[in-house]
Amino acid sequence: MSYIPGQPVTAVVQRVEIHKLRQGENLILGFSIGGGIDQDPSQNPFSEDKTDKGIYVTRVSEGGPAEIAGLQIGDKIMQVNGWDMTMVTHDQARKRLTKRSEEVVRLLVTRQSLQKAVHQSMLS
Amino acid sequence: MREGACKLLAACSQREQTLEATKSLLVCNSRILSYMGELQRRKEAQVLGKSGRPSDGGRLLAERSPCRGRVCISDLRIPLMWKDTEYFKNKGDLHRWAVFLLLQLGEDIQDTEMILVDRTLTDITFQNHLIFTEAGPDFRLRLELYGACLEEDGALAGAPRRLATKLSSSLGRSSGRRVRASLESAGGSASSPVLLPTPAVGGPRYHLLAHTTLTLAAVQDGFRTHDLTLASHEEHPAWLPLYGSVCCRLVAQPLCMTQPTASGSLRVQQAGERQDWARVHGVLKGTNLLCYRQPEDADAGKEPLFTIAINKDTRVQAGELDQTTGRPFTLSISNRYGEDKVTHTLQAESRGALQSWMEALWQLFFDMSQWKQCCDEIMKIETPAPRKPPQALAKQRSLYHEMAIEPLDDIAAVTDILAQREGVRLETTPPWLAMFADQPALPRPCSPASVAPARTHPPSWGRPRTFSLDAVPPDHSAEAPRLVAPLPPHRSPRSRGLGRKGSPRTWLQSPV
Repeated sequence: MSYIPGQPVTAVVQRVEIHKLRQGENLILGFSIGGGIDQDPSQNPFSEDKTDKGIYVTRVSEGGPAEIAGLQIGDKIMQVNGWDMTMVTHDQARKRLTKRSEEVVRLLVTRQSLQKAVHQSMLS
Repeated sequence: MREGACKLLAACSQREQTLEATKSLLVCNSRILSYMGELQRRKEAQVLGKSGRPSDGGRLLAERSPCRGRVCISDLRIPLMWKDTEYFKNKGDLHRWAVFLLLQLGEDIQDTEMILVDRTLTDITFQNHLIFTEAGPDFRLRLELYGACLEEDGALAGAPRRLATKLSSSLGRSSGRRVRASLESAGGSASSPVLLPTPAVGGPRYHLLAHTTLTLAAVQDGFRTHDLTLASHEEHPAWLPLYGSVCCRLVAQPLCMTQPTASGSLRVQQAGERQDWARVHGVLKGTNLLCYRQPEDADAGKEPLFTIAINKDTRVQAGELDQTTGRPFTLSISNRYGEDKVTHTLQAESRGALQSWMEALWQLFFDMSQWKQCCDEIMKIETPAPRKPPQALAKQRSLYHEMAIEPLDDIAAVTDILAQREGVRLETTPPWLAMFADQPALPRPCSPASVAPARTHPPSWGRPRTFSLDAVPPDHSAEAPRLVAPLPPHRSPRSRGLGRKGSPRTWLQSPV
């Protein structure tokens, strides 16, 4: 999953569909994100490549909509409802996830275990 | 009360107090005027009444007076229309006004709180609920907007006149004009004519900016916009750029709707059974005749047996009817519901009782015709909350100053705030922070940005920095204990920061 500038990125992704939960005035998804092109990637504990400035899931609240949908801590979010999340600032990422007009967000996420599983199955 | 207000005005040192005192003075003056006028009217009526013969004609044909009601006005809002010269090209002067509304219905005068207005407001909003009792359906509620222009502190408040004139000619044209006008008018007589001479009062002067009169036609259970008649023009010292309308919620509750107007025992003919007449206790309240089983039920607030609607389309007829041969003192009430006509036949106990029931019904019909839309449904009047103390005069600060998180200018300091909030959880140093623990003194800007619970020296705060309007404080607290993954060793903190400009030092986390 390392990113070489100028080269296309390929990844094995999983679709995760989260239905937002209404809490009073807000719609919440029940997880936290970290990362962004304006953030320091070396502090990211979940990324394999410490120059990866993507958006990662840093926390999934128990019983929340994200957990129910199958999102896991350490996932890297590639797309949200079709919008790219690999080259966005932290704030842009947060905004794309918390749009008030959308009740469902469809994420494309990738994780190392997925990559490994696919490799394994390809090898065998 | 007026003398008290004058004395208070003389003793005022702070500007807000002066404004409030001047306002009370103005209100008192108007009240005195109106009371004197009312006194005059009553004296005249008395004199006329003694000389002429009181007319004592047939009661039903005599003038019927409609019932009184309560009128409440609330949520007053006056939109403003600032010119672009107020924001640009005005040399940074901030023009401020103190405004309030004076409302008069009959001889009842009430005032709203005083609001300070400057160009940051788009509307003047008054939070008051004002209730006028004893209003008739022909009421006229007069609204008057008074405003006083405020000088900025230290500008020309105490300057001698010659100096002030010199200065005012070098100020901007409009502000200079205002200053000169206010200086000229400061020595003038009091703003409102009074029968007794007021002691000479200094301080701000209120001018009438706009007025309007509202009547029954304006009453509605909702917000409506009404036009204001502007009383001042641009050259006037206290001119405020009003849009020309006022929005408010004006509701009226006639007494006939809220209080029972008649009650007594009745016999009602049941549907179907001609001979069976049930005995009920009827209460005429609002647009309904409620029939309870017993008088105690009405007091206890229980549900009535049944309710007969009485509205503009109801027909009432008294006297002998075909169905009621042999039964005296009956009256019938008919309502149309779509195609059907429903008739209730009631029997009163005696001729006198029948008479009083009819009288009550006629009075109700008259009230409904007078109060018109107020009788369709009871409009809610909320009891006014206790008056809040006037807001303190806040110095106008630039928008940017208000945005900074004083006195902090560092994301680390924001975390500090979080640390104080979250308390214990942040005190455990995350394991990967140990990488930086044995660092020799890093220059200030390069310190690790995420969690730094122990600070050995107080940080030196620079100028306030603004943050993005939608920046969410980082959710570090929940993460700190969980970051167990060891940081890869190739990370060299020494190399980052100093040389590279603009490289981010944070790894923010946001909950979504």
